[in-house]
Amino acid sequence: MNKVLSLIKTCMSDNMNLFRVKTKNQSEKSKKILPIVLFLIIFFYMWSFASMIIEPLVGTGKEFVLLTLFVCFTSIMTLVEGIYKSSSLLFNCKDDNLLLSLPISKSMVLFIRIFKFYVFELMYNSLFLVPAMVVYALNVSVGWTYYLATIVAILLLPIIPIIISCLLGGFISMSSSSFKNKNIAQIIITMAILLLVFYGSFNLQGYIDNLANTATSIHEKITQIYYPAKAYINLATNFNIGEFLLFLGIHIALFALSIVVLSKKYFSVNSRVKSVPTGSHKGDYKIKTNTPMKSLIKKELNRFINSPVFVTNAAFGLAIFLVGCVLISVRFEGIANSFIMEDDTISIQSIESFIPIILFGFICFTSLMSSITSSMISLEGKSFSILKSLPIKPFKIILSKVLTAVLIMIPIILIGDIVMFIRFKFNIFEIIIILLSSIVLPLVAETIGILVNLKYPKMDAENDTEVVKQSMSSMISVFIGMVLTGLTGIGLVVCAFSNIHKDLIILGGLLVYILIYVLLLIHLNRKSVKKFNSINV
Amino acid sequence: MIEIKNVTKKYGDKTAISNISFNVNDGEIFAFIGHNGAGKTTLIKSIVGIHDFDEGDILINGKSIKTNSIECKKEMAFVPDNPELYENMKAIDFINFMCDMYEISQETREINIKKYAKLFEIENNLNDTINSFSHGMKQKIALISALAHDPKVLIMDEPFVGLDPKAVFDVKEIMNEMIKEGKIIFFSTHILDVAEKLCSRVAIIKKGELVKVGSMEEIKGDKSLEKVFLELEK
Repeated sequence: MNKVLSLIKTCMSDNMNLFRVKTKNQSEKSKKILPIVLFLIIFFYMWSFASMIIEPLVGTGKEFVLLTLFVCFTSIMTLVEGIYKSSSLLFNCKDDNLLLSLPISKSMVLFIRIFKFYVFELMYNSLFLVPAMVVYALNVSVGWTYYLATIVAILLLPIIPIIISCLLGGFISMSSSSFKNKNIAQIIITMAILLLVFYGSFNLQGYIDNLANTATSIHEKITQIYYPAKAYINLATNFNIGEFLLFLGIHIALFALSIVVLSKKYFSVNSRVKSVPTGSHKGDYKIKTNTPMKSLIKKELNRFINSPVFVTNAAFGLAIFLVGCVLISVRFEGIANSFIMEDDTISIQSIESFIPIILFGFICFTSLMSSITSSMISLEGKSFSILKSLPIKPFKIILSKVLTAVLIMIPIILIGDIVMFIRFKFNIFEIIIILLSSIVLPLVAETIGILVNLKYPKMDAENDTEVVKQSMSSMISVFIGMVLTGLTGIGLVVCAFSNIHKDLIILGGLLVYILIYVLLLIHLNRKSVKKFNSINV
Repeated sequence: MIEIKNVTKKYGDKTAISNISFNVNDGEIFAFIGHNGAGKTTLIKSIVGIHDFDEGDILINGKSIKTNSIECKKEMAFVPDNPELYENMKAIDFINFMCDMYEISQETREINIKKYAKLFEIENNLNDTINSFSHGMKQKIALISALAHDPKVLIMDEPFVGLDPKAVFDVKEIMNEMIKEGKIIFFSTHILDVAEKLCSRVAIIKKGELVKVGSMEEIKGDKSLEKVFLELEK
């Protein structure tokens, strides 16, 4: 047991560095302020969202639907993210040589990997689940059994999505390892599975149209499909010791079983993932000359496409944007109708007139939630010293990272724009504003990303997932994206319901973001080089 | 010429190197020796501009690495002790990348890459990705990248670790050729025999402080460098 605890402690210590509160270093202390503020804002968002959902349910006896929705949302989120995170978290880690050479079983190595995954998801899920569970407790009279069931549920709910995503991650790694270009194969298989899961969960969302009227049916649909949601709601509303023990037992047994099953193939899949093909075009190498900036961008693109988790993380948001634009264009009437209540005076035509505002909001959401640069410094790892030794100005290196990221994002956003321009009537002014927004918003997002990563670098990650999905930098970038998207959304909705002309609304939005970009650029110019030089590896 | 003037570098409260001063002259092979954790890599990384330092200055051919780092770096090449290269790049793409950063002409890189790839017998592996390479092969790629732009100053941290005997011999030959052209070679090593045979001057560092610096004859007298070093370590 001491061996297990020692292993967990050692393997977790690096990941938990930023969560330690006691530090004498003043700059470390100041680094904690931003994540805490952002955490509180997201908590407040979730609290407000949960309060909004429970409001029409209070007194109907259907308040538990709030819990069902949040359990369902966090489980899908854990599953979707887990699918593309698990391959990189489980296989080909930098500490493989150390751990696999120790006198411990392979299942123990696998347990450590999955446990690290679990702890991160537990913290992330709690940010969404806790506000909803507290809002429920404040609106419904609950006893101590509710709190017991809720605490245990928070601890257990990430387990099943993690198990499924680890099994799928194992399948993806095993399937892609037989291809010559494993990374590309892994990206394609992961994206295919993700789109399938997303399609399934999107269909589930179709049931959620009129909350107060269909509350019970939503609850029934979700609990029929997903046992943990059913068990937790039963325990929260009508505690039963037998069901509680069953809930506990099933999760622990499934976790143990999945370790046993996965460990059977773990070693061979890990070896196959590690193997690298060699020997093509012997002696037939090409010596080419490029400008330093072009060469830096090529280097960044090479790093990007060779990291499946990096590509999938960026591509998923962009794919949703593209699919969203196509869906809105093809099935606009159907989607618009689902937003119109029986007693509403709003028409499809009036919704259509808001399309430029909706598209602006959508571009804002996609850009700000898909920060690529928030990982680019950390992904350099130990090779960061190569960059520091080059006769190139650090600002140019930083700029090359931002340019690479916007070069990945902007073309896809522009395709979505063009689809919308073809389907809906945009005037020339709106087209110009939308096109400019499609350039400015990714620039804002990527400049924020690089600034955050320069402030919160993680240069010693065991794998790319720790950087792309589980680092302080990536989390803060997502949180900043959530806050800015939320504020933009509120601003757009408030303006749209006032008498301001819709063209002025998107122009105002664009001008605000241009101003933000200019301020960020000034900050980047002043601070980034010092931050860059202060990173030691 | 490399002029190291009263350089001090701290990591938080800990002083890694303290008030280090010495010069390395043109046409000199200079060995920098010390036990593990003595501060060798810290000083080397300060010279090549990877680490900032708290006090003092380092001049490369009269230019300060603090205030004129780009010009200094253009004249230098650095080979790290543990070559952490871009693992997903093909070896030739990495070398091309490094040449692009030093803005080396197509003609010069054609000559130098082919020359050193042939010398290190790695021509047939240049199309492979670096993550398929052994430590020694990565070290050879780092050496080719460093030598491709004909640096006036070559800084190396433990350059012989992981290299096969032929490659070690080749590196020593390259070093001798370079000093004939008046270039500077500054390297750290634990292989004291090599330092003794190859270097004209040597510096010994202990717990971040310079304990000896001078010509090889001055330092070792009639003893071996190994003996002198072990005596100083007591």
